[in-house]
Amino acid sequence: MQLGDLAQPLATFGLALLLVVGATAGTAIVAGELTDTSTQPDVESFQPDSLLPTPVADEGAVGAPDAATPKTVVVDVSHGNDVSRADMQPLVNSLVGAGHEVQFFSGGSSNFGPPAGAESPLSTELQEADALVIANPATAYSDDEVDSIEAFTTGGGKLLLLADTPTRASSSTPALPGLPTTGSTAAASGQPTNVAGRFGITFGSGYLYDMTDNANNFQYVYGDPAGSDELSAEADRTVFREAVPLVTRDAATTVVESSDARLSSTRENGTFAVAARSGNVVAVGDTWFLSPDAATLADNEQLVGDIASFLVTDQGGAGLAPASGGGAALSDGTVDPSPTPPANGTNTTA
Amino acid sequence: MSLRDRPRSEQLLIVCGVAGLLVGAAFAPIVWDRATEPEGTVAVVEMHGTITGETATAVTDNLREARQNDSIDAVVLDINSPGGTAAASEQLYLSVKRTQQEMPVVTSVTGMAASGGYYMTAPADHIYVTPASSVGSVGVRAVLPPDGAPPGEITTGPDKGSTATDAETRRRVETLRRAFVGSVVEERNGTLDLTASELSYAKLYSGARGVEVGLADSVGGIDAAVDDAAAQASLARHDVVRMESPQPSILGQLGLSAPDQAVAGSAVSTQPTFDYRGVDTVQYLMVHGSVADPQTEVNPNATR
Repeated sequence: MQLGDLAQPLATFGLALLLVVGATAGTAIVAGELTDTSTQPDVESFQPDSLLPTPVADEGAVGAPDAATPKTVVVDVSHGNDVSRADMQPLVNSLVGAGHEVQFFSGGSSNFGPPAGAESPLSTELQEADALVIANPATAYSDDEVDSIEAFTTGGGKLLLLADTPTRASSSTPALPGLPTTGSTAAASGQPTNVAGRFGITFGSGYLYDMTDNANNFQYVYGDPAGSDELSAEADRTVFREAVPLVTRDAATTVVESSDARLSSTRENGTFAVAARSGNVVAVGDTWFLSPDAATLADNEQLVGDIASFLVTDQGGAGLAPASGGGAALSDGTVDPSPTPPANGTNTTA
Repeated sequence: MSLRDRPRSEQLLIVCGVAGLLVGAAFAPIVWDRATEPEGTVAVVEMHGTITGETATAVTDNLREARQNDSIDAVVLDINSPGGTAAASEQLYLSVKRTQQEMPVVTSVTGMAASGGYYMTAPADHIYVTPASSVGSVGVRAVLPPDGAPPGEITTGPDKGSTATDAETRRRVETLRRAFVGSVVEERNGTLDLTASELSYAKLYSGARGVEVGLADSVGGIDAAVDDAAAQASLARHDVVRMESPQPSILGQLGLSAPDQAVAGSAVSTQPTFDYRGVDTVQYLMVHGSVADPQTEVNPNATR
């Protein structure tokens, strides 16, 4: 066969090949137009400008309190208190930095020996103290202890009561063994209810939340100063986490309040007291604001500094008239043994 | 009188008539098919079970195919999901929204469209529920790992293990909440009877209550949803093709960790499918129900 004889079949083959490839390409181009032609939706709610929340100002430092003489602040951890030095480091640093002493009292198992008679270790410890901090106790304070604490404040000692929502503490810290307490746990364990009740203050059971005006989460509510107490005069806007509302009566007055908040248990809307004061006693329905995470948020550093001052300052503040006559009155161990009759000493929670 | 005796013109007429009948009969089936042929197809895209990266990818692929396939004219979402990871839920939301811009999308909540499951439901043109199905739980949670780096681990920075400080995590959760709540308010504009603040409570509503508050449109089954989708696509006759939800993992198929599918009226129990094997990290979830970790930012709310 001559080469020329193959020309026609080869040409036919090439033509057929071109036809097939061309048809495929053409079809592919047409088909290509059928692919996803939709466009990315424009989602207004995804625009970063409207999405990113404004951070809560976190600057400043907790100021050091002024006090002429060094004082001793006792933090009670002998009742299974759900609080540690790390939880209130800014307050401790502030006090220690100003020359005061902070002791965490765990029951005096070794220093004081077995408790003698009816005198509880806490009562003994108070004789050396100028201020007492009670936060989130797992067990109730006995009547004798509450009497001692009341006498302590009457004698010029300062008392700071702190509590979170009750369920948090009760599950994590069991009662310490060997304590001369009655062993009865208060119904609202985790809150120093019977101590606070003696001073006309009651801690609530739910927590406060605010769905609109909050510190980037509904459980982080803002507090505003209430009244003209020096404790909160400089703290225009404070932040609390799951704050417990306080109910006050008698001489106790609200110092910090959260307005337009709601209570988790009832969903009730209103203005709730977060911090209250009754003479030498201050109660706050939160412990988180003392923590390193929170102590410099918003104006919290001002409130923490004012609380530090409150603990070590002799004068209770404007309008407060505890018959202290000098902050070091207890340093010689003379505790007024006569308990004041509890006018409204019942601590039944309403 | 036989055909032969007829005039020639008549013979031709009859032959032509018969031939016409025969040819017509030959074409009759084709004409019948053409006349009764569906005008289009409604694709039923399933999203059953928890939303993870894996399941979301499969559903996103199904939706893309629905957009690309010329024969598909409308989509019905068959949703029964308690939600899942936040990122995957957002992907599904965008995918459904994109599909809805191309063709009618109708949702039938066949069990639960909660949290991330509702996120992908929101852009639909119409949402069908049944009295026992549930919708809502519009909220986000961050599940935090224990503080600090575990022993035997060296990291290059303080936030390498925890990914962020608590305050930053709170802000991030708030960001996701704003995006989620804002999207639902935007999508349900005009029908939603809840404020953004009320929606942020993250309640889960029954189907009937969901219609009342505007999170759903009407009560009806999945067939009603298919008919509605076909009507919106102007299809007098339509086929239905089902694009099934991705199957759970092999372990799940063996029943070792299978998610409990919802029976009518009962809640779907969520599975810990968000494990990041061997690494404990902050997880941002849009899921309904309680996660087995006490540290949650958003608490679930009871069905009303």
